[in-house]
Amino acid sequence: MAVPEATLSHLNRADGSATYSSNGYTVVGAVNGPIEVQRRDELPEEAAIEVNIRPAVGVGSTKERYLESILQSTLRRIILTHTFPRTLIQLTLQVVNTPAPFDCPFTSSPLPLLPALLETAMLALLSASLPLASTYTSVGLALAMPSPVKKKASLSATAIMPIDDKALEQASSIHVFAFTADGDLLVAESEGLFAPEYWEHAYDRALELCIGSKDGRAEGEMVVEGEPEDRNESQWLRSVMQEKAEQEQRWKT
Amino acid sequence: MTSASPMPLSFSREIFATVSPAPYLLANLTNVEGEEYPRRTNSRQTDEFRLPIINVNSLQHCFGSAVVRTGDTAVVCGVRGEILHSSDIANPPNVPATSLHPQSGTAGSDTASPAQDIYEIPALNLLVPNIELATGSSPAYLPGNPPTALAQTLSQRMLSLLHSTRLVDVNDLRILYQPPATPEDEETPDVSPAVEIKAYWTLYIDILFMSLDGNPFDAAWGALLAALKNTKLPRAWWDPDLEMIVCSDAISDARGLNLHGVPVSVSFAVFDTKRHKGMGEKDMAWVLADPDTFEEGLCEETVTIVVDGLSSNGMQLRRIEKSGGTIVGKDIMRSIVGRAAKRWEEWHSVIGQAGG
Repeated sequence: MAVPEATLSHLNRADGSATYSSNGYTVVGAVNGPIEVQRRDELPEEAAIEVNIRPAVGVGSTKERYLESILQSTLRRIILTHTFPRTLIQLTLQVVNTPAPFDCPFTSSPLPLLPALLETAMLALLSASLPLASTYTSVGLALAMPSPVKKKASLSATAIMPIDDKALEQASSIHVFAFTADGDLLVAESEGLFAPEYWEHAYDRALELCIGSKDGRAEGEMVVEGEPEDRNESQWLRSVMQEKAEQEQRWKT
Repeated sequence: MTSASPMPLSFSREIFATVSPAPYLLANLTNVEGEEYPRRTNSRQTDEFRLPIINVNSLQHCFGSAVVRTGDTAVVCGVRGEILHSSDIANPPNVPATSLHPQSGTAGSDTASPAQDIYEIPALNLLVPNIELATGSSPAYLPGNPPTALAQTLSQRMLSLLHSTRLVDVNDLRILYQPPATPEDEETPDVSPAVEIKAYWTLYIDILFMSLDGNPFDAAWGALLAALKNTKLPRAWWDPDLEMIVCSDAISDARGLNLHGVPVSVSFAVFDTKRHKGMGEKDMAWVLADPDTFEEGLCEETVTIVVDGLSSNGMQLRRIEKSGGTIVGKDIMRSIVGRAAKRWEEWHSVIGQAGG
């Protein structure tokens, strides 16, 4: 799995911003908040969250509305909205780059883009230093059944790959997961054809990729300079934030 | 003047529900006196669904239609076909001529699911679902307004599901033409001229909400499924003399669609006391099946899964959508899939009975 790249706080006018690129997708995100809210959107006891997604080409369509609704409900759980009643937290995500489209069963699916959007949103929120209930990390997986002819394909024979062009070509189902830092399932979106066991199999693998090994190792014990195989998303997120903090504290030394 | 004794502070159910909805739902769910199971505010049990009622082909001008009602959510779905000429397509998909058979579509081609199927329907947008909520179905969606984010989201979910389940067979939508053998061809009688795709049927699937009381997606998808199952496309063919597509108006010539499987959508909402104020010390959460509008307003986490029990490998999942919270993990998901399997039987039999 290719290591994702991130740049933080590179937009001067926004309260928080981030660029994230992974698997051919590049997304720029900007967070403004808490700012004044329009009267009709105002909530008396919490901050309203607005998510705008702009596609790489053309204007937003129903596909972007759908992704916005997933992000909105996820972020409402993550941001401590009760701390800013009657305000607005606005998140804008601009898709900059997507892999070249090609014919595959999931060409029209909005899901392959979702992990990049979720990760960008997380980084932008961290860059804006908004109070959060937890962080999360997201991963997209493609499942390929060995052969549709076989009636009972064994679990071990099923290939699980991160979503990229090669994986999508032979995938029978695609899955997007997001886990909080505690390993709770936050988002699960899947499509294609799969049995419940396969979903659980993908869940285990995704948890491993996001949080690390399943044995519930305490977070502090993780080695930052681990082997590439040990790398997981939350570790990566932490290293990005550490880099940012170090850079900002440079004046002190 | 004697002061009246203070009125005891008590509310009717309606006022309690309006003033503090979350504690009202909590009180209903925790009050099990005289009840075997906790009951929700709508007096259903936590895992109880509303029974769907289906009427089909009540709209005269549609190729297929259905009216579905689950509780106070009522939906009308109409399917209409329009012809898309191949000559009007800018970049026609490259379909190998060997996969085309003029007679196909009449026989149940359930086994034939060539890879080409997958690309034509999304590439040419041959299926166009649209959901209209602004019909006066609910006070939240007033007529005359542009489609809300929810309406757009629902339309997109329908479209994604239509594409990913490959419900409609592209062979049913193709209008083919077999050119007659020309004198040059007669020298090589074994090779008949290649079959051409002259046009496609585009199906416009319009779904109108008559009344909305929670769980719009399940009802809309059920209506779509019942409508497509009863859709009859007129026989259409290319007339080389007129150089246009001609349709037969004889009902006996019309044929139905071969649908792949019966995917059924089942939705749940999670009521989490942690997310509300004044809910007592103990953190509790309930998974509510088929939520109504009142419950949807109090639940942030939602789960929708699409199951198909018709496949040869037992119950298969076609889609999982879960977001908004962290209550549903691997274990709860397992029990949800079990409940969805039971719900599939219910929809399957209701849709089967409605098919006339």
